[in-house]
Amino acid sequence: MKYWYETLAVAQRILTELLRRRRSLIFWSIFPVSVLLLNGFILAERANLSMQQAFENAAPVTLVGAALFFSCLGGSVSTVVAEREQLTLKRLFISPLSGTSYFLGIFLAHCAIGLGQTLLVYLIAAVWGARFQGSLGLGLAILLLSIAAYVGVGFVLGTQLAKRTEDVNALVAAFGVPLLILGGAFLPSSLFPESLLNLAQFNPIYHMNEALLKVSANGDDFAAIEFHFWFLALFALAMVIAGWLSYRRMLQVERQL
Amino acid sequence: MLQINSLYKSYGQRPVLQSLSLKIPVGEVYALLGPNGAGKTTTINIICNLLQADSGTVLINEQPVSNKTKRLIGIAPQENLLYKSLSCAENLQFFGRIYGLYGRKLQQRVRTCLEAVNLTDRANSPIETLSGGMQRRMNVALALVHQPKLVILDEPTTGLDIEARHEIWTLIQQLQRQGITILLTTHLLDEAERLANRIGILKQGRIVAEGSLDELRRLIPAKEVIIVQTPEPKKVIDRARKCGFTPRPYNNDLAFWLPKHMELKEIVDRFEGVELISIARHPIRLEHIYLEVTQRAASNVLPTSASAKS
Repeated sequence: MKYWYETLAVAQRILTELLRRRRSLIFWSIFPVSVLLLNGFILAERANLSMQQAFENAAPVTLVGAALFFSCLGGSVSTVVAEREQLTLKRLFISPLSGTSYFLGIFLAHCAIGLGQTLLVYLIAAVWGARFQGSLGLGLAILLLSIAAYVGVGFVLGTQLAKRTEDVNALVAAFGVPLLILGGAFLPSSLFPESLLNLAQFNPIYHMNEALLKVSANGDDFAAIEFHFWFLALFALAMVIAGWLSYRRMLQVERQL
Repeated sequence: MLQINSLYKSYGQRPVLQSLSLKIPVGEVYALLGPNGAGKTTTINIICNLLQADSGTVLINEQPVSNKTKRLIGIAPQENLLYKSLSCAENLQFFGRIYGLYGRKLQQRVRTCLEAVNLTDRANSPIETLSGGMQRRMNVALALVHQPKLVILDEPTTGLDIEARHEIWTLIQQLQRQGITILLTTHLLDEAERLANRIGILKQGRIVAEGSLDELRRLIPAKEVIIVQTPEPKKVIDRARKCGFTPRPYNNDLAFWLPKHMELKEIVDRFEGVELISIARHPIRLEHIYLEVTQRAASNVLPTSASAKS
């Protein structure tokens, strides 16, 4: 119960701070909506798809690429950096809060934001006629694994590389934008040349996109996305472990200060 | 409540704490004084289990320091470590929940802490809208939310104006009346004089003097100190020595200990024929004791474990 109460406390605090400031939440809504509309219209026009099909294809990649990437990865980097800048990390170290609860709290807060973005993106896609099929549970599992992977990467970047708030945008852009493009977030991977497609196989965002696209737009079952799913699951696990180790290392360094 | 025995800590080759020992009984306010770099913050970090000592023991309520003892301690660090966009009540609620409080008990503690620091009317104000003094009081309130047995106040009034300083002093006196054990670090000697039951002076990682203010006064074989301004310092020193006044180098002042209470006229008469600009007489205060003790420690005149009691 201790962990559960602490996790809830951390998540609630992060969400309250975000609601109080509003700006991040507004931008995290505007960005995926505009990318969804652009993706949808471009797909409809250039791939000769109906609006319904175009938005069915645009919604999953927009969600995983544009929405969750910036809110969950960028957001968790910002959370850790802000704690360090406000020096509140020190107060957390002094308290009995466990590192596990802190990580889970950030994960839970970003799950809530991610689920909100999912509703927003799919609702707007539905307005353009998109219909989504496939297993809801499987779709949710892919989303949660994606969020866990992003939060894990966010912890690594936030604890090891971003020392100040100014570093966050540069870091997220430098690591993220090439991976997003190569993952098919802005341009369908079906349009990639062979060499780029081979490279994309090593990009976790590509597997997130492909898995969610196949489940939500095509209604595929687990067997059809098995490889993408396990790649994503392994990547998420690796990132959570890396994030945890980075956090432990930061604890050791910050405690000396 | 707090017992530190023979604590050693060094950073690389640089020793920070050298056989530090001190004991604070329940309900006492103990002021730990010392110049920057004396080891105050390192001591606090070890008590809070943020740092591991190289050797020695720290017992809180007779338990060795561990993650479990974190619940027994409330700390108000030097900086105001607060979530600026959250309100006072939200900050208290968050830290209360981290310490395992919830429901009605949490709400009650939040109210009590806000009342204790006189911020009930600002319960819903974001921290960033509060004055420096109010933020400082909130910093202390966060240390109290889980009803700790030991409260550590690390330079609680540094950087505050005199009014805000008095507010914090009143708060500390209230805590003292409630029987809470307090470890106070400060550079303000009048603060220690006013609030502490006992005072420990830390220099180069060891306690060089310890005791109540009266006990510490006994370290100086004088009743009063005079500060003299003169264009002829050499003559003044010679004359003072002849009169039995002991010259003491306090900062840039020309100061002398008086072995007994003397009227000002009597003192001035002793300097007849020497040009004086001003002469001021003071009772021996903590400032004088502090300077004396730290200067003696620096020149190794004082034994390393000197105590006012011994």
